[in-house]
Amino acid sequence: MYPANFDYKRPATVDEAIALLAQHGDAAKVLAGGHSLIPAMKLRLAQPTVVVDIGRIEALSYVREARGAIAIGAMTTHREIETSAVLRDRSPLLAETAAHIGDLQVRNKGTIGGSLAHADPAADYPAAILALDAEIELAGPRGRRTVKASAFFVDLLQTSLEANEIIVEVRVPLTAKSVAYEKTEQKASGFALAGAAVVVGQEAVRVGITGVAAKAYRASEVERLLAGQRTPTPQAIALAASHAADGVDPLSDIHASAAFRAHLAEVNTRRAIERALARA
Amino acid sequence: MRLTITAVVPAARERVFAALVDPAILQRCIPGCESLVETAPDTYQAALRVGVAGLKGSYTGTATIRDRRPPDGLTIALDGKGAPGFVRGTAAIALTSEEHATRVACDADVQVGGLIAAVGSRLVDAAAKKLADDFFKQLSAVLSAT
Repeated sequence: MYPANFDYKRPATVDEAIALLAQHGDAAKVLAGGHSLIPAMKLRLAQPTVVVDIGRIEALSYVREARGAIAIGAMTTHREIETSAVLRDRSPLLAETAAHIGDLQVRNKGTIGGSLAHADPAADYPAAILALDAEIELAGPRGRRTVKASAFFVDLLQTSLEANEIIVEVRVPLTAKSVAYEKTEQKASGFALAGAAVVVGQEAVRVGITGVAAKAYRASEVERLLAGQRTPTPQAIALAASHAADGVDPLSDIHASAAFRAHLAEVNTRRAIERALARA
Repeated sequence: MRLTITAVVPAARERVFAALVDPAILQRCIPGCESLVETAPDTYQAALRVGVAGLKGSYTGTATIRDRRPPDGLTIALDGKGAPGFVRGTAAIALTSEEHATRVACDADVQVGGLIAAVGSRLVDAAAKKLADDFFKQLSAVLSAT
């Protein structure tokens, strides 16, 4: 379990990091908290010849309220997000979701930017990022651009991030307390077999689901069925939740069949909606 | 691991069958295929650099066509190995005609072993499915273009 040889670069700024990526192209891989990349390198599933470690760029680690949203630096750890007073108070879904990730050691090292860029189909954040309709800011050689969460996840482990770009910031809107994340985890890894993140707003309900398909997705049929209902009945919630896996092709593996994953998506969606409403 | 994939390819069965046993076309369609050589009748030696996004491994292996039934289908036996582990199994492929197209049903029974199975198994099924989807997309594109 030794990785192949590689060069290690530790840029001090975002600009330096982007210059290194531009210089090395496909041979380079960005290292953040290292909880996905390092195991992959040890298995030799990833063999970058240059590792660009952005994990110590101080300027990318922050949580602050700005212009009606909360801006989170890409290298903010899961633990910092979990315990952030401003997130807990002003937009609690992401903090609640972070608490579900791995174990404390993972949360102390892993970062939100690293997790989103890796786009593991069973990671926890993507569900919350979609339900919050967050914005993801990317920096590359041609400057910065903002991608909506709904356009960010492309396919299994694939995002709209270009090879020479890095995530610099995630912006989530302020929300009421009426949010929830519910998850059934695979016991050995802690990854989600199915996780549902819910934001109940004034007009609409938004539901993000992870672990079920090759990428996290918005459960648009669930959202449509609950739109405009301030206090849906338990029957209406259950009916809406039964559409949690509509239009997706659920993953199937030794841990859970496609049908079981779809079932877990439904159960977690129902529970998350109920809990979010109870907090309203 | 059992993998069931169906795809609809916009070409007649005879053409789809011919493509599935044509090394030149297969090399263009198999994700990450670096070389594919027929070493004996119905036996192919392949080198692949295959994976999803940044996670890739190099494999070499042999594919043998058994039970060739043009244009109804065929069975392929696979035996490959690489640094991340080994892959061994059979894939039964059945072709049925649809209007201006062929439905390809692939039922594969594959054993994945070694490091990748011991530690990386969580993503193996999802990755295999994606690679198969990519293959059929590319095959459709190649058959539509010619």
